[in-house]
Amino acid sequence: MAKTIIMPHSVKIKRRLHISRKLSILTTFSTLVLAFGVSGIFFAMIGLNPLDVYSYMVGVYTSPTLLLKALERAIPIGLAALGLSIAFRMNFWNIGAEGQMYMGMFASTGIVLLHAYYDLIPDYLVLLLMILASFVTGGLWCGLPAFLKAKMRVNEILTTLMMNYVAMYFVDFLIYGPWRDPKGYGFPLSIPFPEYAKLTMIFGEFAYSGLLLLCIAVALAVVILRYTKLGFELKIVGEGIDIARYAGIRITKVITLGGILSGGIAGLGGLAIVSGIIGRLRPRASPGYGYTAIIVILLSALNPWLVVPVSIFFGGIFVAGDILQATLKIPGAAVEMHQALIFLFIVVGEFLKRYKITITREVVR
Amino acid sequence: MEELVSLRGIIKHFPGVIANDNVSFTLRKGEIHALLGENGAGKTTLMNILYGLYRPDIGEIYVEGRKVEINSPKDAITLGIGMVHQNFKLIPSHTVLENIILGLKKSGLVIKSRKIGEEIKKLAESYGWRINPNAYVWQLTAGEKQQVELLKILYRDAKILILDEPTSVLTPQECRILLQALRRMAKEGKGIIFITHKLDEVFAISDRVTVMRKGRVLVTKETSETNMSELAQYMVGRPVIFTIEKKESRPSGEAITIKNLKAFNDKGVLALKDVNLKVMKNEIVGIIGVTGNGQQELVEVIAGLRKASGGSLIVDGVNIINSSPEKIIELGIAYIPPEPLRYGIAPNLTVLDNLFMKAYRYKPYSNGVIVNWKKIYNKAEELIREFQIVPENPYAKARSLSGGNLQRLILARELSGLIGEKIPRLIVAAYPTKGLDVGATEFVHKTLIEYSRKGSGILFVSEDIEEALMISDRVAVMHDGKIVRVFRPGEVDIDKIGLMMAGVEIAFK
Repeated sequence: MAKTIIMPHSVKIKRRLHISRKLSILTTFSTLVLAFGVSGIFFAMIGLNPLDVYSYMVGVYTSPTLLLKALERAIPIGLAALGLSIAFRMNFWNIGAEGQMYMGMFASTGIVLLHAYYDLIPDYLVLLLMILASFVTGGLWCGLPAFLKAKMRVNEILTTLMMNYVAMYFVDFLIYGPWRDPKGYGFPLSIPFPEYAKLTMIFGEFAYSGLLLLCIAVALAVVILRYTKLGFELKIVGEGIDIARYAGIRITKVITLGGILSGGIAGLGGLAIVSGIIGRLRPRASPGYGYTAIIVILLSALNPWLVVPVSIFFGGIFVAGDILQATLKIPGAAVEMHQALIFLFIVVGEFLKRYKITITREVVR
Repeated sequence: MEELVSLRGIIKHFPGVIANDNVSFTLRKGEIHALLGENGAGKTTLMNILYGLYRPDIGEIYVEGRKVEINSPKDAITLGIGMVHQNFKLIPSHTVLENIILGLKKSGLVIKSRKIGEEIKKLAESYGWRINPNAYVWQLTAGEKQQVELLKILYRDAKILILDEPTSVLTPQECRILLQALRRMAKEGKGIIFITHKLDEVFAISDRVTVMRKGRVLVTKETSETNMSELAQYMVGRPVIFTIEKKESRPSGEAITIKNLKAFNDKGVLALKDVNLKVMKNEIVGIIGVTGNGQQELVEVIAGLRKASGGSLIVDGVNIINSSPEKIIELGIAYIPPEPLRYGIAPNLTVLDNLFMKAYRYKPYSNGVIVNWKKIYNKAEELIREFQIVPENPYAKARSLSGGNLQRLILARELSGLIGEKIPRLIVAAYPTKGLDVGATEFVHKTLIEYSRKGSGILFVSEDIEEALMISDRVAVMHDGKIVRVFRPGEVDIDKIGLMMAGVEIAFK
């Protein structure tokens, strides 16, 4: 006689074949609402009215001056994200935009210092040289793990992540040591950058010049990905090493070149921080823009054009954090926790967009 | 004799195919039962049903006379059924002991390593194996890993053992050890099902043999009451006469000359031992043989996707051995790979991308930096019409295409002379009709014949003897990494071909 077995509940996770736009927008929106709801509980716990906090945050995007500040922050984030759009296209999981930005800062500041002490080239060439140097240095910082991956299958997630710390502490060392401004009262700061080494040529505002730089980079990324041989090769390598080999693609060359481009554009983001936002080098000059860039590019679905608005949104979150600390006297940790919650919920939302979760209970006769 | 297992009237459908069509099968106590058939005959599906990995659509399973439902491998293990898969399912970073007791209920909370280790050692020694229970699995050879898989089953007191092509990863010495151990297990009263497509193994080990072909069981016999040529005939089937219009070939010049070619397979075993073959232009050379005798390695070496360890490939008097795939593409060697979805198609990219994944870098489609997508789009539309690819949209995702259309896409890419606008000098086609329906198969045949008459040399690898005889101008039989014999269709009758494929030496007059 057959007996009936009731299986326990089972959770199945299936990839959605088609992601509708409606579902996509609805998910992003509701995850954002949830993120604000959860952090609201924490704000209430430390004795703040969550609604006050929210209104300050929304205020960032409605006030022209604050929006300009959000735009400033958006530029390094956006550049790093564009770099990632190239790496991620070939399935190279570059987690190292942060370190590549620090190397960009190192290179730009190095040029300024060299010029300040040796004065080898005319002033108007300095900025150009800084752009070049930050691109190359950031590029090599990502090109190395890319080469190692292509040649020896070294896992790029580990190498790029670890190299972030090397880059960050290297900059710490320079700025607490040899590169400290002798007239800076002992603060760990470089000399302030002279005007010709700053990205402020349009209306004297970094936000405008930076936006121009970002748009040029977007156009560059689009051209590389859509119209060049390299762009097509990146796409095929992203589909798998077997198929790329079959197609006769030189895999080592493509992965290394893609890595250099990816890190190079992130390196420009480093330049934007020291030469645009701050105007000098200081330790920990990036509050994690390189990591934010990962979320930005995933939310933009690797589309370079979408990087601009999405970066401005995330730039605003950083600005809002500063304002909350200054006006409502919220501890910095609480602000960072709030930001982390927003990121976390967005990542979960992205997962829910791509996968369908069903809970079933099977009855077997 | 007591029946351990009886499968009755098993039917199993997969989308578009019947894997098992009313199959019945019995296993007796103390016997080694060989399950023989070509790849895709349904052997593994049947055994996966017995092991609970699949459920039959229709059919009954009896174990030791009782009707049972096997819903999962867990049920199967409870019933005393164990299976050793072709690819081992061991965890390399764990020890032998850990792998064996993994998932075992009776081990309890605290693992008595020393006691269990002793038991495992003793069990292994009773079959003449020397296994250190504390060795890590990654340190073991393929043969030892297989012993661990068997120990894992035996430690759970299995009475019914299923081995899926167990000798395919073994060296001849390891093979001998395995067969000896299996015989001892049978003597202890266990029933063993031995899946294979090698005829000589059937005679080396089995008491009874069942032959499957295209999802059906053709015959079950005592091994002592049959012979190789009878089994070969069952396995391959009767010749089916298809006619195809084919003009006489006029070979003109060499397309490629293969000399003393040697290469290793992925497992590090010498798979090409000494291959010598010449393919002329205007000629189709068919390669037949039981799968796994070096055909795949041969085509991969020619395509530049696998390193050869010796020998030469001569094209226009130049040895091109171990050139990069890029260089080989530029020489006009087209390659239609086996398993197109893994090697020949990027399913997430469009039809257009797939059509031009080789040609994009050459003139007139690229100037060295920028790709001319407009030119590519126009040519793609032309190719889609010429090769009748459905859907006709160049921007359709490749994964939405049927198997037949994917093969048309590959043909279009490989044959149409996108590179330098000339036809390929050599077309290497590995199992190009495998899994295709009649219409698509016919299209592939016609296209290959057409190109061979236009001047390409074609190396056509097939599992299907009739197909190879039908479209080839010359046929080469491959066995154990060597070309055993080359002849013209009609010169040798099909029974003898079957024997040659099985490695039996035949004297020719």
